[in-house]
Amino acid sequence: MFAFYRELEGTAYLAMHAIRRVGMLRVPPVMEEFMRQVYFTGASATGGIVLRGAFIGTLIIAYIIEVLNADAGLAVKMLLWVVLREVGPLIAAVLVIQRSGTAVATELALREISGEIASLRRMRIDPYDYLVVPRVLGIALSNAALTLYVQLIAVGGGMVLSSLIVGVPLDEMLTNFFLLASPLDLIYSLIKSILFGAAIGVVACYHGLHPGGHSINAVPRATIRAVTEALLLVMLLNVVFAYVVYGSAFFGLVTAQQ
Amino acid sequence: MSALFGYVRMADGESAERIWLDAPGTHSVSTTRKDELVAAVLELRPRSGARLVLLGAEVGALAEPERLALLGKVGFVPADGGLISSLNGWENVTLPVAYHQPRRIPQLFDEVREVLEDLGGVEDRLLHKLPEEMTLYEKRLTAYVRALLEKPALLLVETAAAGLGPTKRRRTARFAEAYHARCAGGTFVALEE
Repeated sequence: MFAFYRELEGTAYLAMHAIRRVGMLRVPPVMEEFMRQVYFTGASATGGIVLRGAFIGTLIIAYIIEVLNADAGLAVKMLLWVVLREVGPLIAAVLVIQRSGTAVATELALREISGEIASLRRMRIDPYDYLVVPRVLGIALSNAALTLYVQLIAVGGGMVLSSLIVGVPLDEMLTNFFLLASPLDLIYSLIKSILFGAAIGVVACYHGLHPGGHSINAVPRATIRAVTEALLLVMLLNVVFAYVVYGSAFFGLVTAQQ
Repeated sequence: MSALFGYVRMADGESAERIWLDAPGTHSVSTTRKDELVAAVLELRPRSGARLVLLGAEVGALAEPERLALLGKVGFVPADGGLISSLNGWENVTLPVAYHQPRRIPQLFDEVREVLEDLGGVEDRLLHKLPEEMTLYEKRLTAYVRALLEKPALLLVETAAAGLGPTKRRRTARFAEAYHARCAGGTFVALEE
């Protein structure tokens, strides 16, 4: 129980630190780390992540249409509610955890046990400023971009697929989509994906910097903890976000028109 | 007193631990408690009861801003170089200066060239190598150039010649000379086992 509170406090502290120290991006070496992270998470993996995301999104739509025998209106609503708002951000987050979350936790844990973090401190470089701030912000930004790509391809693919399966003309689906979709849908998923990305970055950095030992065995343990907890946190955030947006504070604001 | 690390017998017969590094010049401190000395100096936290005097300042009497200012004047070159594995030679060399004094970045290329020439010159490829591709001497040299660029008033160099062949050992003998050429009036302390 004590370890849980310590982790909670540690991750909360890292999150606050990343927010408070955004200005560190002005420092050239920190900006370079940020650019490396954005390239690694948001650019170099785009093809693979978007492709896998699009497959999953399209499959969901295909199953829904098959099982519910949906018409064009329902198919578009499903695309909006399921893929655009919920599945898109979740798929992107899971794929980012799988690739960048593991990479960050492993890299930082190796740096910690090899003495590189101590070396940074000896140079009066705060590891939180130099390593955590650019990674958390880089992953948050990249996750938002990847979510947008996944949504575009999954929704586009879903419409093409559903027009082929249901036999409804694509232009009718597009008309329905633009009629029902609102900019709030995009804003909602954008905010959510930034939060998911930041959460993944914070959890991966925390476990990477606290591997719980100085042997090489500590590295895989830190990575496993990072992946497991990042997944849990993303799911929890999704539930909280859905409750806040649909359940109480903004009830009805982002509900698609009937 | 020039450079001292150890127990000193006091007038009352008691012995007290002193770390005294405040005289300009080149000094050699031979100790089996090297790690302890490095930690005390770099964190400015001597063991309880010990006195730490660095560059004329009694560390225990300093306020936090003065401690931070003092820390900025202390450099350290560890035996393994203490390089960052994901950065190449150039990025490692320039990291502290680019981080703490970004305004100096435009002059860094010339400064690094100058320091490397003072140290006898090296092959150009060194600055493109990752630490994993460097020899032990190259790692120490890279770390040394990195430390010199910060122009520390006190520089601790850990076992610079240990584990090197005769040629490279001779080259490390230039380290102190290069330091004094750049940091006149500075204190160079070679830490040996």
